[in-house]
Amino acid sequence: MLWYKAWLETRGRFLTCLITLTAFCFIFVHHAQEIAFRGDGLSRAGRPADYYRLLFVTQQFLVMMWVVSVVLLGMGGLIRERAFGVSTLTLSLPVSRCRLFGVRVAVGMVEATALVVLPWCAVFLTSFSAGLPIRFSQVSFYIFLILGGGLSYFAMAILVSSVVEGEYTAPAIAFGLVLLTAIAFDAWLRPYSLWRLITGDLSIDRHTYLLSSGFPWSGVAVSLAAAVAMLFLALQRIRKRDF
Amino acid sequence: MSESFAIRTNDLTKSYRQFVAVDSLHLAVPKNRITAFLGPNGAGKSTTIKMLLGMIRPTGGNATILGHRISSPSENCRLRQRVAYVAEDKPLYGFMTVEQLIRFTRRFYSDWQIDQEQRLLAEYRLPLPKKVRSLSKGMRTKLALLLAFARRPELLILDEPSEGLDPVGIEHLLRMLVSQAAEGVTVFFSSHQLAEVERVADQVCILNHGRLGLNARIDELHQSYRRIDVVFETTPSERELAVPGIERIRSNGRQMTVLASRNADQIIRRARDLSAVSVEVSPVPLRDIFLETVKED
Repeated sequence: MLWYKAWLETRGRFLTCLITLTAFCFIFVHHAQEIAFRGDGLSRAGRPADYYRLLFVTQQFLVMMWVVSVVLLGMGGLIRERAFGVSTLTLSLPVSRCRLFGVRVAVGMVEATALVVLPWCAVFLTSFSAGLPIRFSQVSFYIFLILGGGLSYFAMAILVSSVVEGEYTAPAIAFGLVLLTAIAFDAWLRPYSLWRLITGDLSIDRHTYLLSSGFPWSGVAVSLAAAVAMLFLALQRIRKRDF
Repeated sequence: MSESFAIRTNDLTKSYRQFVAVDSLHLAVPKNRITAFLGPNGAGKSTTIKMLLGMIRPTGGNATILGHRISSPSENCRLRQRVAYVAEDKPLYGFMTVEQLIRFTRRFYSDWQIDQEQRLLAEYRLPLPKKVRSLSKGMRTKLALLLAFARRPELLILDEPSEGLDPVGIEHLLRMLVSQAAEGVTVFFSSHQLAEVERVADQVCILNHGRLGLNARIDELHQSYRRIDVVFETTPSERELAVPGIERIRSNGRQMTVLASRNADQIIRRARDLSAVSVEVSPVPLRDIFLETVKED
C-alpha cells in the first residue's frame, strides 16, 4: 500500500508533466514535419537528415523538460511530511524507513521512465503514421541516454529533499544545482558534460544526425554510480534523522 | 515470566545540545490499564512518546514497549504492529479521501476490525468520498481515532486525544477508552484536561522539565493526598508543623492550609498539639496534585 500512497502523492505532478511532455513531442513532430518536408518536390525519404536533426532538437527540449519534471517528482518524502506535520503518521506505520524510502524512489523511477518512454512513443507513432523516416534504434538510443544519464538528476532531487526542509526551499536548491552543474560542466569540463551526454550531443554524427559511435557506456555508468551514491547518502540521512 | 508493564523506560534521555528535553526518565506503565501522561507544555511528553515509537533517537538510556527494545529498528518496526498511535495534531494525509485513508491503513494490520470500523464510521458520520484536507479539526480527530481503534492494538498511545472534539465526541472518546481497557488494551494518553483524566485514568504519570514528578495509581492519590485547613489560637510558625508528607503550607494569619501527600493523621495530631481550634480535612482534586507537582521552585 505504500506504492498506492506514493502514487496518490505524486500523480498530480506526474500526470501534468506527462501530458505536457507528450503534447510537446506530438506538436513538435507535427511542426517538424512541415519544416523538413515543405512541399519542395523532394520525396519524404529523400531528406532524412533534416528530420533526424529535428528529432535531435526534440531530444534537447525533452531533456530540459524531463529534468525539470524529475526534480519535481523527487521532491517530497519524510522531510516534506515533517514540514506538514504528517511524518508522525507515516512513521507510526509498521514499516521501516528503508522501505518507505525504497518505495518512494522506486515509484519515482517508474514515473521518470514513463516520462521518457511515453513522449518518445508519441514521437515514434506520429512519425511512423505520417510516413516519416524514423528508426526504432534511434528512438531507443535517446530513451536510454536520458534514463542512463539523467537519473542522477532524480537522485540529486531525492538527496536535496532528504536534507532540506521547506516546500519551496528544496526545489529552489535542486533547480539551482541543476543550473550550476550545467554551467560548471559547460565551462570547465565540456567533454564530460552530463547535459551533452544525455541530449546525445556527444554521440551524434553532425551530418546524418544518427548515432555515430557506440552507446556511451562509461559516461552512463559514471552517472548511474553518482545516482546510487546520492541515493545511499539520502537513505542514511533519513535513517538517522529525528522526526 | 511475562512482562507486566507495557512500557518501561530506564534512564531515557533526550537532549538537544544544552537543552535536556527528557532527563533520565524511569517510567513504568502497567498493562491493561489506562495511564494518563500529564505535564505542562514543553515538559517532554511528546518527545518521550516519539522516542518510544522510534521517531526520535534517545541520547541516553533505553526502553521497551511490549517487550520490544525501542532502540532496535527491526524490533521497533514490529512493536508498531501492536501499537496504535494518535499524534497531537492528528496528522493525516490530506491528499487522500477518507475512504482511501481507511483502506490504506487497513492493509498494514492483519487483524483489522471491519465491524469496529463500520460502527465508528456510522457513529462519527465520516464522509467517505471527502478529501481529508477538507475535514474539520473535529472530524480529523474522529478519523484518527477510528484508524487507531479499528486496528485492535495491544497498546494505544494517544497524544491529546480529545483536542478538537465537541462535548459529545469527548464523552464518546472517554467511553471508548474505558471499553478498550476492559477488553485488555493498555491505554497511555497525554492530556491537559484533568477532569477527563480523573474520570477514566487508573494511573497518573506527571512529567515536569523532562523528569518524572509523580507516578501513582489515581485511587492511591485520592487516598493519600489531603488538604488540611487548620485554625490556631495564635499565629504559629510554619516550621512548628514540619511533618514528613507536607507538600505545601499556605498561612493567612491564624489560618493555615496544608497540602499533604501522606501522613495526614500525623499532621492532624501535630496541629492539635499546637493548639489548633479547628481542623478540617478534605480530599484533593487531581488538579491541585498536578499543580503542586509541576510548581516552579
